[in-house]
Amino acid sequence: MIALPLRLGLLALTALAAAGLSLLIGGTHLAPRELWEALSDPRGSGVLHTIVWQLRLPRVCIAATVGASLALCGAMLQGLLRNPLVDPYLTGVSAAAAAAIAIATLAGVAAGALTAIGFAAGLGAAALVAVLARRGGGIDTNRLILAGVSLSTLFAAIVTLAIVRAQSNDYAPAIVAWLAGSMAGRGWHDLAVAAPYAATGALIALWAVPALNALRVGEMRARTVGVDVDRAQWAILAGSSLLAASSVVLAGLVGFIGLIVPHIARRVVGSDARWMLPACALAGAALCMLADAVCRWIVAPAELPIGVLLALIGVPAFLYLYLHPASPLAAGRQE
Amino acid sequence: MIELRAVDLDIAGRRLLGGIDAGVARGEFVAVLGPNGAGKTTLLRAIAGLYAASSGAILLNGSPVGELTAPERARAIGFVTGDEVLLDALRVRDVVATGRFSHHRWWQWREADSDEAAIARALEAVQLERFADRLFATLSSGERQRVWIALGLAQETPVLLLDEPTSHLDVRVAHDILALLRHLTQSSLIPKTVICALHDINEAAAYADRIALVAKGRMLAFASPDAVLASDVLEGAYGIAMERVRLADGRLRVFAREETNGIGERPNPKPSG
Repeated sequence: MIALPLRLGLLALTALAAAGLSLLIGGTHLAPRELWEALSDPRGSGVLHTIVWQLRLPRVCIAATVGASLALCGAMLQGLLRNPLVDPYLTGVSAAAAAAIAIATLAGVAAGALTAIGFAAGLGAAALVAVLARRGGGIDTNRLILAGVSLSTLFAAIVTLAIVRAQSNDYAPAIVAWLAGSMAGRGWHDLAVAAPYAATGALIALWAVPALNALRVGEMRARTVGVDVDRAQWAILAGSSLLAASSVVLAGLVGFIGLIVPHIARRVVGSDARWMLPACALAGAALCMLADAVCRWIVAPAELPIGVLLALIGVPAFLYLYLHPASPLAAGRQE
Repeated sequence: MIELRAVDLDIAGRRLLGGIDAGVARGEFVAVLGPNGAGKTTLLRAIAGLYAASSGAILLNGSPVGELTAPERARAIGFVTGDEVLLDALRVRDVVATGRFSHHRWWQWREADSDEAAIARALEAVQLERFADRLFATLSSGERQRVWIALGLAQETPVLLLDEPTSHLDVRVAHDILALLRHLTQSSLIPKTVICALHDINEAAAYADRIALVAKGRMLAFASPDAVLASDVLEGAYGIAMERVRLADGRLRVFAREETNGIGERPNPKPSG
């Protein structure tokens, strides 16, 4: 039995190792010493310096932000809705962002403006879903799921329509690439735009820790022990929407992380949100950085979409780890 | 301590409680009796501030329960409800520790000594000390019921509401729990006020100071067990003939008379042949 702080420390080390590996891997081979020299001299110059500071480091930071955001978001929503099948895109954030970006692409909107459009559409959809799910002062969790799934289907249809229309011109590949999820071409500027929203979402997650813990014994009982469930619902929804929207504009649609990482984190540190949320953030960041590195490396100089890679490798690996009786992940499983 | 003044409660256009007047004093043990669907749970939830009264007032120490913040309410009123499915692999102690929520600000993540002591006392009171590290999911329904009671006790509130706390419990544990609740109301330090919805009329007769008899959302009687457990009063509530017996030691026992259901017919006529 390893103590919880140690487990969290191991996860942090894993995330650090993933960051280091991700910085080393790419189209240009870097030796660890070269990487260290470039990193330790922020004002340096030269090709290696540019690769590290302008290409890889922002990319690694974006991957970490996306991974941590999606995992935190998934954990919060799963806790709020008491449903282990919920993922960050449930509230319609991604589908609406995808639809808005697809339409904007078709309409010939400049690429620089797409991020803001997607972000606004994502948050707008989450707000719409929340309003539809409103009941009394709070949110009806079943209605939230129904409204989110229905609206997502509607937006998905709009995306399909946009792709069909786009086939007559050159826009289709851009839309499809965005849907597949990728951090290609993203830099410090994109991170600077999205990070404050992601950080706000993460702060809300911290605020929600005690409420999420109390919600583990049921919504009614959480009310009786003093949780202002209505307020917690709105806050968690707002926080998770900010996190999801930030990651959507940074990387497009990246599946798997938001659904699965909370399950992995629960296996590693248990369901206590005090440990589970930090574990989610670390494991999500580590997984996303590693996956992004593999995407850049495996078909270099081209790139594989990270969403595709995560689904192709991650899902079978997770199912094996989750279901195989001898695996460490299966050990803590409660049937 | 607790006062209900002409309380009406409607949910989705249906009147669930009508014209409820009642006052409960500190240290009293009140049993709420009534047939299924009478409004016992609704009444308890209204007192707990989970449902707002449509009209009338529910007062705790003179101030409206609805005006308390959620944590204030949880420090004043504990509410023990029935079973619920837990998705997470929670241990008994984790579940009981949830009762300490309102004793913390949101940034206070660590358990204080007072929390640990309260959790230990609550587990001891329901005789679950040995189960503290057991997974909740592995408990029997009776043991789970005791965990929910421990959660309510860990809140350390002056008022404790319980919704059928003795369901799923065997006779001995049920009486242990009721004796414990009785004991809590008689504590010399801070006597708790206990309001407890029960199904078993004889449990109510044995432990309660007063009985509130509820049927169809109305309070038919609110008086001593002796007065409420009169056959005609009970028959009015349950619609079945009742027989009342006083034992040699003075205790009351009430039985349903199987022959009639109050309107002269057998409740479940056996098929002939």
